[in-house]
Amino acid sequence: MVTGFLGPNGAGKTTTLRMLLGLVAPTSGRALVHGVAYHDLPDPTRTVGGVLEASGFHPARTARNHLRVIATVSGIGNQRVDEVLELVGLSGDADRKVGGFSLGMRQRLELARALLGDPPVLILDEPANGLDPQGIAWMRGFLRWYAGQGRVVLVSSHLLAEAAQTVDRVIILAGGRLVADGRLDELLRGARTSVRVRTPDAARLARVLEEAAASAAGEHAPTSVRLEGPDVVVAEGTTPEVVGPLMARDGIVVYEMTSSGESLEQLFFELTEGMGSGGHAMGPLSVPTTAPGSGRNGGSVP
Amino acid sequence: MRRLVAAEVKKFTTIWSTWLVLGITAFLVAALTTVVAFAPRRHDHSGVILAVRGSANWFDSAFSVLTVSLDLALVLGILCMTGEYRHKTITPTYLAEPRRGRVVGSKLLASTLGGTAVGIVAGAVALVFGLSVVAGGIGNVTVMLTEYRHVFPGILAAAILYAVYGVGLGALVKNQVVAIVVGLGVTAILEPIVVGVVPSVGKWLPGQAAQALESVTANVSRGLGGAAPLVPWWQGGLALLGYGIVLATAGALTTLRSDVT
Repeated sequence: MVTGFLGPNGAGKTTTLRMLLGLVAPTSGRALVHGVAYHDLPDPTRTVGGVLEASGFHPARTARNHLRVIATVSGIGNQRVDEVLELVGLSGDADRKVGGFSLGMRQRLELARALLGDPPVLILDEPANGLDPQGIAWMRGFLRWYAGQGRVVLVSSHLLAEAAQTVDRVIILAGGRLVADGRLDELLRGARTSVRVRTPDAARLARVLEEAAASAAGEHAPTSVRLEGPDVVVAEGTTPEVVGPLMARDGIVVYEMTSSGESLEQLFFELTEGMGSGGHAMGPLSVPTTAPGSGRNGGSVP
Repeated sequence: MRRLVAAEVKKFTTIWSTWLVLGITAFLVAALTTVVAFAPRRHDHSGVILAVRGSANWFDSAFSVLTVSLDLALVLGILCMTGEYRHKTITPTYLAEPRRGRVVGSKLLASTLGGTAVGIVAGAVALVFGLSVVAGGIGNVTVMLTEYRHVFPGILAAAILYAVYGVGLGALVKNQVVAIVVGLGVTAILEPIVVGVVPSVGKWLPGQAAQALESVTANVSRGLGGAAPLVPWWQGGLALLGYGIVLATAGALTTLRSDVT
């Protein structure tokens, strides 16, 4: 299970994660891992791996030595150091000084350090920061793989589209408060979606969909249907899973079908509106994204 | 604790600043012993009586420059603690060992090895100097070694405790530059003033305590010590150790408890 820990800038994500890792003392309350404060974990390195954005490296120390120093504290051998270097793809750079590393390489080294103890829980603060698109894809694959082994992954992010592709569950924080906690698919279920179809049979498709809307049969029947231009039909409140079979049934040719739904991003803005010091910093500037399960282009060709 | 100390030692050996400090130690001792021993001097009105080349006093004054190693041991101790905050390596350090008091404790222990390294490098260079001048026909080896045995053990002990003191200072101050300025400033500026004005307090300050410790084998007091009375050598040693432990404890209870962000 990968849990996304989301919130606007200044919402308190990093602070919360650092509390969990015993680096920041809560003003009130407690932060526990497995029911125990980090300070009291008998073997923290083998229990929780923390990947922190601002974590440091001595610029003059090599990547391998950096890991060996930390491994020594927990009695972890040099062989495991080589393993984690291999795992994050830094074997070839292991004996270079970290001062010459790119941000992406430092992120990988930081991940390697967190993995030294092969911990069942991994906590990551903005791990995609500074990574190039390949690195981000790699990180996503890695987190899915790690969680697939029955481990717990908690990852904070402000990159919502990225998070939407990676996480199973989201926790949304705004203004220091929890505003949502649940499975991503459940939070997005029942959300408004629209389906847009380009077809030479636009008028006929519109009629078919209007009938479906009128009968309101089944879940996600269209709520409204309109024509956009000579060959485009847009149906609101429905899904490709509803529209596709109808077109197949009536033998309607499809050139293109897309759906746009309420995305994690829209959900996020609804929940965090007016909260957090960052406000809508991500809103107007963000690149339009497609939500999980809604971005599938493709036609149902009879 | 053994693993923590081993990790601290690894931190020392895997960065160049440690080797730089040792290199500077070697260079300073080599340069200063040569200058003190061979610099041309004029008899002036103060009527300083110069030791004859090759005499016991001449070797003693040349070896006395070994005291510079205390400052370098202090810097090494300070770097051991403040370097972690400067480069933010304190985050992975605390993630691996969240009990911060234990981290500081392991640094106090590891720094004794750092101080030992500085003392031994300094002592080795001084010994090479002594053997070289004897080989060059100045003095004889027995006189040289006698003076060396008077000076070196006390310096080594003081260097070890100065490194511990440096860790304590670094734990309390945390800012690298400030800690080094304070550490060196106390001995170089504050201490002579206090010794002059309130000798009963001044004799407990680090530099005077170190001189007291050095007097365990050396029967001459040098520098400021000539004017002010020194405490017994063991009290000097305990005072220095106390500085390290008290400052480190104070640091662990105050500055080091603050949030790591």
